[in-house]
Amino acid sequence: MMQEVKSQLEKKGMTRRQFLRYAGAAAALLGLSEAFIPQIAEALAQAAAGKPPVIWLQGQNCTGCSISFLNSNYPEVAEVILDKLSVRYHPNVMAASGGLATGVLDDTLAKLADQFVLVLEGPIPTKENGRYCTFGVKNGKDVTYEEWVNELAPKAAAIIANGNCASYGGIPAANASVTGTTPVSGIIPKDKPLINVGGCPSNPDWIIGTVLAYLTDKKNLLANLDSFKRPKLFFGETIHENCPRRGAFDAGLFLEDWNDVNPDFELCMFKKGCKGPVTYADCPTRRWNSKVNWCVGVNAPCHGCAEPTFYEALSPLYEPLPNVNMIGLTPAVDTIGWVAAGATAVGVGAHYLAKQLGKKPEAGEE
Amino acid sequence: MAQRITIDPVTRIEGHLRIDVEIDGGKVVDAWSTGTMFRGIEMLLKGKHPWDAQQVTERICGVCPLVHGTASSYALDDALKVSLPDNARLIRNLMLGSNFLQSHILHFYHLSALDYIDIAAVTKYTGSDPGLVAVKDKITALVQANDAYPFLPRYESLDYLSDPALVTTLVSHYIQALDMRKKAQEMIAIFYGRMPSFVGTIPGGVTQPPSISNIAAMQSRLAELETWVNNVYLQDVLAVAEAYKALANGVGYAGGNFLAYGGFDLDAAGKEKFLPRGIILNGDITSVKPFDEKLITESVIHSWYKNGTDGLQPANGKTDPEVTDYDPANKYSFLKAPRYDGKPMEVGPLSRMLVKKPQILLDLVTKYGITQPGLVARHGARAIEASLIAAEMNNWLAQLKPGAPIWDKRDIPESSTGRGLVEGPRGALGHWIDIKDKRIDNYQAVVPTTWNASPRDKNGVRGPIEQSMIGIPVPDPDNPINVVRNVRSFDPCIACAVHVIHPEHNGVKAFRVV
Repeated sequence: MMQEVKSQLEKKGMTRRQFLRYAGAAAALLGLSEAFIPQIAEALAQAAAGKPPVIWLQGQNCTGCSISFLNSNYPEVAEVILDKLSVRYHPNVMAASGGLATGVLDDTLAKLADQFVLVLEGPIPTKENGRYCTFGVKNGKDVTYEEWVNELAPKAAAIIANGNCASYGGIPAANASVTGTTPVSGIIPKDKPLINVGGCPSNPDWIIGTVLAYLTDKKNLLANLDSFKRPKLFFGETIHENCPRRGAFDAGLFLEDWNDVNPDFELCMFKKGCKGPVTYADCPTRRWNSKVNWCVGVNAPCHGCAEPTFYEALSPLYEPLPNVNMIGLTPAVDTIGWVAAGATAVGVGAHYLAKQLGKKPEAGEE
Repeated sequence: MAQRITIDPVTRIEGHLRIDVEIDGGKVVDAWSTGTMFRGIEMLLKGKHPWDAQQVTERICGVCPLVHGTASSYALDDALKVSLPDNARLIRNLMLGSNFLQSHILHFYHLSALDYIDIAAVTKYTGSDPGLVAVKDKITALVQANDAYPFLPRYESLDYLSDPALVTTLVSHYIQALDMRKKAQEMIAIFYGRMPSFVGTIPGGVTQPPSISNIAAMQSRLAELETWVNNVYLQDVLAVAEAYKALANGVGYAGGNFLAYGGFDLDAAGKEKFLPRGIILNGDITSVKPFDEKLITESVIHSWYKNGTDGLQPANGKTDPEVTDYDPANKYSFLKAPRYDGKPMEVGPLSRMLVKKPQILLDLVTKYGITQPGLVARHGARAIEASLIAAEMNNWLAQLKPGAPIWDKRDIPESSTGRGLVEGPRGALGHWIDIKDKRIDNYQAVVPTTWNASPRDKNGVRGPIEQSMIGIPVPDPDNPINVVRNVRSFDPCIACAVHVIHPEHNGVKAFRVV
């Protein structure tokens, strides 16, 4: 095996040492200890043999998730992934245009059925026979995004819905009554392996990490999705649980006026509408843009952009969460988002109300 | 005999664009530009809390969210009668400037460069620069592994740059540019939290105060970016322009009408702007005329909306959908056709630089004898603008005052209207908001690519991209490389351009543009 790995890497102009460095970065991305590095290196090398083809389509999208992908926190991992994948179709990257471009889709369907990974960025408009999004012309007729997805999805090895709107409908879904916006899960065959990577946009680590997990241990990845089909690896805990400003929340120190920002003690954004208590994502630790910052880091509330309920059900974005009086369930990834979310907010509410009333919360309320 | 070709999708742009051209005698004789995707972002804002507007509208576009968030903040400021603190104005300028840098770099290297270079020439590099040898080895390995996606397939052309040393250098800059644009995004994360979908601007100001440490974090990245823009990006554009000087005059000329709203306020009232406001008509760049908002109207005769709403002012909201089959003689785009005093107007870096007239641009115009600036001039203007903005950002950074206010707190009024007119990487952008009962009653955006990529108007006059296609050389209709070079020189963003249309009349009161 080692010999095989070595020859594959050499073909790609990569030394064993370089490859181990990539594997090390990959372990860091996935939050694994250094002990896993050899295992990841081995798995990646094995995966390289196949070099899965990737078809990346865009629908009712804004291209934000593609731009976010370019901002990878771990460029060496992105590089190794791109070396291990054959990105045949990506509208913003590929040299080809027009029939030359859509010809790649037809060619992939004909030659690589059940082998390619389908990445979908943007949901599917289904009203007016799909005419709200078309690309390519066949036999003199515009081809709708819906038609492309219907043609490609049944023959994909797996499908990744990239970003909140492909996964759950997102912002365009707030206008679904007009365009018939449908998330990927609503249109593809039910038995097709689907991974929803939410976020508006998706964090590049989430996408790269999901592809990495797919390449190294597909079975394990698919076994560890929550009921919204998102990887628990990245969406397993709430923002609130891991927020570095949790201390301010516990102390009842809430930001009221942006001119009162104190760099020595960062205030909690709950009263400015923070949706961190109901949002499952690892932003506080993973952060964004090469770990430079994240939303709460600039005294802004989390808007809950990784949740299936974003945007419409989380509006108004700058008003405190409702349901703080709700009592009930233990929050868990697998319970329904906004309701469970309200449940998570129980602890929040107790603290918040207690502080508002000038009392200390009772022990065990948390 | 004339031949009709369709290019759909036009890739390496933002969004879904179709271009049809008619070719006769090796040249384009007619053209049609079609936006093929629709979401309807403003419709969903009706009834929402006004503070949501900038978070929703910045998602109109993932490449240039800054300009939408900024226009929206100014529209809200106007409606709330905000007196914007200097720190907030400067931080908004700095963040928007950072987005210009990332967008312009991305546009030249990652969206456009493959139209000009023969990437296979890299394998013939014979020099010994270790960095370039690494690039050569990488590309050679891909070619040998018979897997050159996504660089192939492509339109073939005889005039691709093929000098191995030059091409290898440009490809290495393509890779460097990935990192540079990423640093520009990091600058936005410093004050605005993250990119895309930033969170740091709010009605009345910004959320993150300047401090010694975040100013320093900006300075170090800006210094690196400014050096790179001047020494690499600008030089590469000048080198490519020199190589393609045959295309420098007249090719891609959109008719000579240029519009700039102006952007980057230099004083609290926004009277003086770093990029000035103005109008140029009929190619007379010696005469910059004042801009009058009342002269903007939109035509829908060739757009997928009912004809009864033709000729209204932009934010009128009276639009009924009429989605028919593609028919260039009748209706063929989701884009409307905005006109200024009845004329199609080009917007973007070329318009702004012709209004501002920096010396370096005038020198190039003289050097290449450009009387009709088009395809090549657009790339030049974009690079020159990036250089000017990077330099000016140092001044804005120096003016930040840690400890001074960043926010002017205002309550939402029962009813009010506001508007924000700014410049984004792709051109002039306007947002309008109408507040009733403390909620959004109507929201409208009129965006750059709607101007540039518009279809014909009621008089049958072509939009700027359509007009710019006339005369484009297409020696081989199977490989219309100059057509896609030209359309990409506008840096079109179709998600921006199409979101603005109301597909149904929802009884919203008409805006009065004042």
